[in-house]
Amino acid sequence: MSDDVRRLSDELARDPSSLVFLQLGETLRKREQLELALKVALRGLERHPHSADAHDLLARIAVDRGEMQRAFDEWDMVLRLDPKHGGARKGMGFVCFRQGKLHEAEKYLAEANALDPDDPSTVAALENIRKRLASGNGGHPERSESLPRAQRGGSRHSHPSSGQPPDGDQYRDPSPSARDDSGPDRAARSTQHAADFPRDPRLLFADLIGEEERTALLLDAQGLVLAGAYVSHEGRDVAQEVGAELSGVSEEARRAMRHLGLGEWTSIVFETQVAYVAMAPAPQEGLLLVAAARTTPLGLVTRFLDRAVALSRTWLESLR
Amino acid sequence: MSSPFADLLGTLVRQRGVMGGLVVSESDGIIVDATLQVGIKGNVVAALAASLFRKARLSSAAAGLGEAMFLTLEAEHGRVCAAGRSDLILVTIADPRTNLGLLRVEMLKGLEGGTLS
Repeated sequence: MSDDVRRLSDELARDPSSLVFLQLGETLRKREQLELALKVALRGLERHPHSADAHDLLARIAVDRGEMQRAFDEWDMVLRLDPKHGGARKGMGFVCFRQGKLHEAEKYLAEANALDPDDPSTVAALENIRKRLASGNGGHPERSESLPRAQRGGSRHSHPSSGQPPDGDQYRDPSPSARDDSGPDRAARSTQHAADFPRDPRLLFADLIGEEERTALLLDAQGLVLAGAYVSHEGRDVAQEVGAELSGVSEEARRAMRHLGLGEWTSIVFETQVAYVAMAPAPQEGLLLVAAARTTPLGLVTRFLDRAVALSRTWLESLR
Repeated sequence: MSSPFADLLGTLVRQRGVMGGLVVSESDGIIVDATLQVGIKGNVVAALAASLFRKARLSSAAAGLGEAMFLTLEAEHGRVCAAGRSDLILVTIADPRTNLGLLRVEMLKGLEGGTLS
């Protein structure tokens, strides 16, 4: 335990009704100890249910946990308690931006800007959103900008109402190919061309994943990554490492099933301390892997796996 | 003389549809103890389960997902399940009639019992 956390924890233990939980929660959040930060914030809120800052802290933790709607609701509560809270407006603008609601994002950011015209991060974010709106690029930023994450707890975004608000870059869309059509519908169509899919294969499953705590990866027979991404909670893409460890699974399972007379293998699911990982044979002797948080019902994980397999089959066919 | 795993394996193979239970070394796929129906190729099951579980453990570590605990391979005419926390893993081979939820609980209970650690 670091000195800061220990000191703040001691202080809170001495006086559980003090507002020091705000500092402690924020320190833990910045250190990515999100579960602890959440506990501290929730306990603080029990004693201070009408503290706008406490709801603001909870909103920022929710963003880090990838819980955008919860963050939005908390900031909404902040505004009810403190209608002039600029950070909450920035936060709500940020969430709307991540959800692709650019007009609403622009509205919240404009309000935040009116309250604090000198905040450069709000000005930059607002400029970027207005540029996107003017160019008619209403592509979903989450789909085009971020990679699926294995664990949402490790969001890389800084926070609109924290000491480090998002800069204008977080509101840019680096990919002009962002499209707004749903994965299942796309997977269902049989005659498609490569142009119908994201240019970056790492984003192939982004539509299927949406805002959920899931990730998907398509590996070839050698365990090399064909599409999808696997970003660890440290923000590192570990797709190649995961692929390397799983290389040969498909062939091994097929041979063993033949020896045992159990027919073709259809899926492998394993559970870890924090996630479900499911695999299925993919076309061309490949392997499709999906991972989801343990909070996801297993039946939904396998359904997600089926849809990801269907999508990867269509995508591979489009490359021929 | 019965092995320390006999009771555990006995409990598992009494489940409906379970055709065999094995305790296997994860590192080399060697059978430590097994209760199998006649005709089941224990060595194949053991080798496959050990290899899959090892890969699951390593890939899970690479992805920062913590320890792998339970694995199921589904095939057209049956399934192989494995559970483990140390070098020894508990493996079952079962037909599609098996109640997977129940089998999973029994296997994890077997791990909790500490017989394998």
